[in-house]
Amino acid sequence: MSERDLQDILRKLKSSRDYADCSSLLSKAKITLLKLKALTPQPNTPSSTLQLAREVFETGALLSIRAKDPAAFTRYVHQLTPFYELPPERLSPAHSEKNKITGLYLLLLLTQSDYAGFHTELEGLELRQGREGMLEKDKYLGYPIKLERWLMEGSYDLVWKAMASREVPSEEYGVFSEILINQIRHEIATCSQTAYPSLPISSTKNLLFLDSEGAVIEFAHTRGWLIKDGRIYFPQQSMKATVDEEGNTKELSQMAIENTLGYARELETIV
Amino acid sequence: MPSKTPHTNGDKPVENGVNGTKDVEMKDDAPAPLKGGKGKKVKEGDEEMTVVVPPSKGSKLSAPPPKDTDGDVVMDGPEEINGDDAGAVQIDPVAKAVADIKSNFPLLERAVTLFDARFSLRALRSISSIRKRLTPDILAQVIAETYPSTSPAAKSLLLAIDRDYVSFTKPAATEMEIDGESKGKLAKKEQKEIIPEVDIFLGILIQIYFLDNKINKMGAYFSAQLTEEIHSLNRRTLDSLSARVYFYWSLFCEQIAPLPPSPSSPVVAIRPDLLAALRTAVLRKDIDTQSTVIVLLLRNYLSTSHIAQADLLVSHTKFPENASNNQVARYLYYLGRIRAIQLRYTEAHEHLTAATRKAPSSPSAAGFTQTATKLLLVVELLMGDIPERATFRLASLERALQPYLLLVQAVRVGMLGEFENAIKQHGETFRRDGTYTLILRLRQNVIKTGIRMMSLSYSRISLRDICIRLKLESEESAEYIVAKAIRDGVIEASLDRERGFMKSKEVGDVYATREPGEAFHDRIRACLSLHDESVKAMRFPMNQHRLELKNAQEAREREREMAKEIQDGDLDEDDLGGEFEGM
Repeated sequence: MSERDLQDILRKLKSSRDYADCSSLLSKAKITLLKLKALTPQPNTPSSTLQLAREVFETGALLSIRAKDPAAFTRYVHQLTPFYELPPERLSPAHSEKNKITGLYLLLLLTQSDYAGFHTELEGLELRQGREGMLEKDKYLGYPIKLERWLMEGSYDLVWKAMASREVPSEEYGVFSEILINQIRHEIATCSQTAYPSLPISSTKNLLFLDSEGAVIEFAHTRGWLIKDGRIYFPQQSMKATVDEEGNTKELSQMAIENTLGYARELETIV
Repeated sequence: MPSKTPHTNGDKPVENGVNGTKDVEMKDDAPAPLKGGKGKKVKEGDEEMTVVVPPSKGSKLSAPPPKDTDGDVVMDGPEEINGDDAGAVQIDPVAKAVADIKSNFPLLERAVTLFDARFSLRALRSISSIRKRLTPDILAQVIAETYPSTSPAAKSLLLAIDRDYVSFTKPAATEMEIDGESKGKLAKKEQKEIIPEVDIFLGILIQIYFLDNKINKMGAYFSAQLTEEIHSLNRRTLDSLSARVYFYWSLFCEQIAPLPPSPSSPVVAIRPDLLAALRTAVLRKDIDTQSTVIVLLLRNYLSTSHIAQADLLVSHTKFPENASNNQVARYLYYLGRIRAIQLRYTEAHEHLTAATRKAPSSPSAAGFTQTATKLLLVVELLMGDIPERATFRLASLERALQPYLLLVQAVRVGMLGEFENAIKQHGETFRRDGTYTLILRLRQNVIKTGIRMMSLSYSRISLRDICIRLKLESEESAEYIVAKAIRDGVIEASLDRERGFMKSKEVGDVYATREPGEAFHDRIRACLSLHDESVKAMRFPMNQHRLELKNAQEAREREREMAKEIQDGDLDEDDLGGEFEGM
């Protein structure tokens, strides 16, 4: 087992298109890496091996994205992190897919609505990259950053446009589009439930980025909305509000009593 | 070289005096630029330096009031030092500095014999007054006079400051000539074993000398040796000293060539050592080292922005409750920073408020206060609150907070244009403060405030107008944004899609909601916890309770006697009882 074997496997990996083949090749590559003691970078690993190891993991990461296997992808990303943190004189950053994979990872965090993770990752990137003007301009990294900003603002139409048009930086990014669209549709639905008293079906179609009115009606049924005279009503809204208020008032008085009792107890201990 | 020779064979007092003045000049030169640099940096609000330097001084200068409420012991500490400073003008400064350093040794000895850490803390506090006067010569003199010539500890210390040729016998000889009594004293001293605390204390002084003169590589190497020594000694009385050693060690590492953001900086290399130190400290219940090392590790992780690791550290360790006030303040600051990055603003706000309140109020800690306040302001904005105007008027903060004032003004009015201008203008400052990414997140808040302002001022406004005022890209985005604002509870309004306007609902009475009650509750809780903390912070002298016990025993005896007397004369009691019944 040597570096040459690894190169062979990598070549095969690149030519192969079948996921099952690839995953078996990948596990073979990982075993080779283990034997070379390069699964994680050691202080004495030669840089040529490091480069190969990085390439294996990167291929693995991209493959798992194509196979829609987020768990495997996350694993690969974590395995890649120590490689990316090596100083450039040990492992040259050229030919690395670092930005692409980090961008994909950010997007994954976004689709899992793990905003804390997203920002944690981002903070690290900004500091390591230094000038973050570059960060936003980077084709791979800028995309998830922009998406996140729009999502937080609520400019869902911009998100939709970014995903629908061919602005997606690479085919792997497309995998997430579907998940994200479902997510924002759900968001919009909850928003409009509270924001509008009623909506005509025709405009709801545009609002929710659905293809036809039939789809709108179907969607309305799944969310339990009422459809009357070509308009959608959100009946549960008012009911919910009254229940909420009652709950609130009950809680309020209970809270006041509890607090006052608490103060009395504390005062007693002090005096 | 010439400045050293008089010391080693300085049998003429005149020469000594000349040498002394020379040293003074040198020293005057040394601290001045340092001070100037620091002052400038404080004004600029440079994070790295201000966070590092002032707290380290603050811990010495202003530690006493909050934590060490040990009454007069603390009170006379700084006063004594001040007195010394005043006196130093007249007396030979070198001799004075040497005497000052030596005056701490009895304190350390007392700390060991009485097993009371307060004495070593007192010794550590005096460092700030000695700090400016430190030179290798003074240190060498102290070492030579303190240790017997055979001591290996003295050898290694002298080697570290490159004065290993200083001979031991000569200074003793001069003292013999000057004063007959001191000979006896010295002889006694040499017989007595030098406690390791003194070794480490001198080690810390050497560290400080390296740090002030930016000899970082040497400092880091020396610190590593020093920690090893501490480790091999394993004495509980060393705890507070060893905390200080780790503190300076990590400072050295931060300043060595590849500076922190780069992953190959020496900061990363000392992590295992710090973690090991933490483990040992926890096992030995060494609170000082424990708190210092936790803070250092957090700082370490954040400097290379390993936020996930820092978060894990926080969740896996328990910060000692009765750590020194300054460490608590720093810990809270770093914790607040982590939480802010993780979007847990409420927690971040809580920690940062506590950090700014706990920060020492002395001017030397102004840098820490500034940095913490900046972060606090941003977090407040992110939570949707507007910071108080008074914060920006404080003399110590006014200049440093100027960019933030612009930011707050933009957010308050909800003007997206001004907000972006402020970012463009002061982006560099924000980046240096490490608040840039957080500030970028504010964009949505600006939009929200803008919408809220509009919903308050208009009962009905078209989406087109909203779009123009907020400088949004399209009416469609405006619609989505307003819908989201309504759902998030930012405004009370409804949308009309066909006619394209937003209609505000009547704003309810705030006093009908639970909000005033909650605010009231928060304040009362703060007061109560303040009371609890001050009760906990009270300190009592060590053996006082025995005295009380004795008193109690005496009282009990007296009671017994009284009881006896009563028993003897039980007629009285019967009489009393009878009378009572009769009534």
